[in-house]
Amino acid sequence: MITVKNLYHSYNKDDNFAVKDVSFEVKNGEIFGFLGPSGAGKSTTQGILTGLLKLQKGNVSVAGYDVKEIKQKMFNKIGMSFEQSNVYSKLTAKENLEFYRKLFDVETYKPEELLNLVGLEGKENIKAGEFSKGMKHRLTFARSMINNPELWFLDEPTTGLDPAIASQIKDIIKQKNANGVTIFLTTHNMFIADELCDRVAFIVDGEIKLIDSPKNLKLQYGDNLIDVEYINNGETIIETYSTVLEKDKKSLKNIIENYEIQTMHTKEATLEEIFIKVTGRELI
Amino acid sequence: MFKKVWAIFMRDLKVNIRDFLSLYIFVVPLLFAIAINIFTPGINDTTVNLALLEGENPKQISYFKDFAKVEVFKDIDEIKKRVEGRDNLVAILPEGEKYYIMTQGNEPEGIVEYAKLLNTFFQLDVQIEDSNAEIFEFGRTVPPLKKLLVNTSILFISVLGGMLIALNIVEEKVDRTISAINLTPTSRRSFILGKSIIGLILPIYGSIAITWITGFKSVNFFQLLMIVFASTLLSLLIGFIEGINNEDFMNAAGSIKLLFLPLAASVVAIEILSDKWQKFFYWSPFYWAYKGNDIVLSQNGSWQQILMYSGIVLVICSIVYIFLAPKIRKGLE
Repeated sequence: MITVKNLYHSYNKDDNFAVKDVSFEVKNGEIFGFLGPSGAGKSTTQGILTGLLKLQKGNVSVAGYDVKEIKQKMFNKIGMSFEQSNVYSKLTAKENLEFYRKLFDVETYKPEELLNLVGLEGKENIKAGEFSKGMKHRLTFARSMINNPELWFLDEPTTGLDPAIASQIKDIIKQKNANGVTIFLTTHNMFIADELCDRVAFIVDGEIKLIDSPKNLKLQYGDNLIDVEYINNGETIIETYSTVLEKDKKSLKNIIENYEIQTMHTKEATLEEIFIKVTGRELI
Repeated sequence: MFKKVWAIFMRDLKVNIRDFLSLYIFVVPLLFAIAINIFTPGINDTTVNLALLEGENPKQISYFKDFAKVEVFKDIDEIKKRVEGRDNLVAILPEGEKYYIMTQGNEPEGIVEYAKLLNTFFQLDVQIEDSNAEIFEFGRTVPPLKKLLVNTSILFISVLGGMLIALNIVEEKVDRTISAINLTPTSRRSFILGKSIIGLILPIYGSIAITWITGFKSVNFFQLLMIVFASTLLSLLIGFIEGINNEDFMNAAGSIKLLFLPLAASVVAIEILSDKWQKFFYWSPFYWAYKGNDIVLSQNGSWQQILMYSGIVLVICSIVYIFLAPKIRKGLE
């Protein structure tokens, strides 16, 4: 669905590249996570893929179209949910969606259906300018589905949403993916990436450091750890031990045999810990 | 394409109707027209209006009709009511063998004197053929001040069309919606066309409203609209560029107001300055548009002249377009 080969981009058209030699592929029907800290080149890459930024160097194909010469028809196949809500504040929620559906050449969803889907039922006739930040975000998210896209770009889809709504949004994403929609997810939230993505790419300083599935990354880079809580001379002690290192194994055996164990949990390395380990950078 | 252009225009119209500033801009032509009517003598006011009793003296009615606008009424009460109206109307009524003149009291002296003279001429059976005077006219059929104000207002409204576009573009920028539009199968050309319609409709509706309300009902509206269309193009271009360059409604409106400077200068040049200074204003499309509007309002312009003035305005606008088009395209990315 997406093929990117040797992509470069410089905002000043000099050697100071925001994106350097980026190559990857996104298969049909997968959820591909593009992860990195602010300024890593996520938005630049996404901007090029969606045609918002002009392709300078490299080869990019999106939904069967060469991005070098974008055809308007391509936009019938893609949808984009922006990180920052961008809806007409002087139009109602329904009017916003009604307007956008007129701009597509394919069959579109009825605004009411989408508003119900994102939990904005009953708010159809309220101006978007009167919405809370979360409601605007949901309206932006709903709009990105209006043309029933084959390829769906999601930029931080759950940022700023309360947990219940975020969970609802995640369910919609899973449902769409189950229906065959390919999803390109840009985020710095590793928990969402871990939960949703089939594969993830780590991008730092404009370069992709690695691409793999969250499961493989955990197997490859994650140390299996055990958190143990025990009583020693009436005092509660909490310690973490590796299940791989011999020294830690011996210490853990000693605790189990000689002390009163309160709790003991295995702990899997998070995607965030792996990201830091691989890239040496925090996800800020 | 047309469906999308129409959708963009209808969205703008919907938003503009809900916005106080835009709504005010829509009402401005009507306010201008009313103000012009109040503060300048009307075209109809150059004609003397007389009220007479129906059937009282058909010969007199027929005679007066050659020299004034005559209205006939069934009885004196109706005449009284009519005389009390806002406009200048004088009644000539019989009283025995004589006539008396009924006025409201605030009519110009000339009109009352004219009515008296006309009645005297009728009684003395004076005919046009009896006159030994020959008329030489400059071809002006409407009051010059009113024509100037209507002409200037038409140009002013064309600038407001640009202002409306700028406001709509700023709204898109404030709401960050241009990027969302760019991710739909809507070409930039459709977007620009859709955004332009509202900026064209306002001057078209405004110029028709002003000319109609101020009494220039018999002008050639096709000629008028041709000049209006040509002169509005510059305002549209400036509207787009100012909308793109500004993040704030008031700043955009303020920047557009700079267009009033060449507009005012062009009017002053034509109306006040001598011929030797005229060439310094040839660069201004408003200069040529004003000239075009002037002959349309005077009703003495040929299509050839109208096409020439419109053509000059279009050429100037095309030069401006060549400079601004890349910036507009880039700004809408």
